[in-house]
Amino acid sequence: MNNPSAGPSSKTKVGSSQSSETSFKRKRGVFQKDLQHMMYGFGDDPNPLPETVALVEDIVVEYVTDMVHKAQDIASKRGKLLTEDFLFLIRKDLPKLNRCTELLSMNEELKQARKAFEVDEEKLASTE
Amino acid sequence: MQTMKQSKDPFEVAFEEQEESPPESPIAADENETQTPAAAAASGQGDDVGTSVPPSLPSTTTGAAISIGAAGPIVKSKEEDEEEDEENMEIELGKFPPSGDPDKMAKMQTILSQFTDEQMNRYESFRRSGFQKANMKRLLTSITGSSKISVPMTIVVSGIAKMFVGELVETARIVMTERKERGPIRPCHIREAFRRLKLEGKVPRRSVPRLFR
Repeated sequence: MNNPSAGPSSKTKVGSSQSSETSFKRKRGVFQKDLQHMMYGFGDDPNPLPETVALVEDIVVEYVTDMVHKAQDIASKRGKLLTEDFLFLIRKDLPKLNRCTELLSMNEELKQARKAFEVDEEKLASTE
Repeated sequence: MQTMKQSKDPFEVAFEEQEESPPESPIAADENETQTPAAAAASGQGDDVGTSVPPSLPSTTTGAAISIGAAGPIVKSKEEDEEEDEENMEIELGKFPPSGDPDKMAKMQTILSQFTDEQMNRYESFRRSGFQKANMKRLLTSITGSSKISVPMTIVVSGIAKMFVGELVETARIVMTERKERGPIRPCHIREAFRRLKLEGKVPRRSVPRLFR
């Protein structure tokens, strides 16, 4: 069922034929470690089967690829690809949309906090 | 509020958490009223089993391992993010879900305190797991062909991808219960889950069919 690829060539697993879409050779198991923890967190065995992880990785890469292509289609009218294009894509999927807006504002918050931290450090340094 | 039973399957635990924890509360208390019925409606959405449980990203570059996101929000308004982000910064290591709502925090605390070790382990994996920023950036760069992928874009795509993995795994588990199978998830379950997600329209379809697969 699954054909492990030899070396750096593109994988030939079910659901993936990236070579026609992308110009790079995808190594296998790029997300393997992360996926194992993730799948366990979502309900799989503490040690998910390697073939399952590989299949999920393929599916996720295909998912991301298709999403990016769609986002690029949307963005092509405007020019540059922006984060908002992704948010537009998932607008119907409320849990994802809410999660993304949450992540983005957290990121902003952290950026501000880091900035403030640096300013304080400078103040401390200058007063000493 | 439901009391958590010790023998709960962690998968069901996650599902229950989604149902009983109200959405993130904003600045005003009255928004809780509007959101709880929305939460009830949202948890009844189609076959979205457990997809409302948002995942979290691993620690940020500050190294403080600040947890991101809560386990339960189903419908949120955008204004409230500011408030709870303050809370987020004080809570560390993703053990407690950050929430501006003390009531919700209390609920979450009672749930978490009753977790078995296995449940806690799994919950921790759920909160902390995520795609490496570098790997995702590399993937996005190769797909778009452009050199500049902004950090927020990486964050968004990683978040979306993680939730998608969640949908896959949870649907696969449903498939397994239907087939009365146990143990680790096998590729056939994932394929069936993927097929179902496609039917539900949760997978972006290609307007041009993919040839030479």
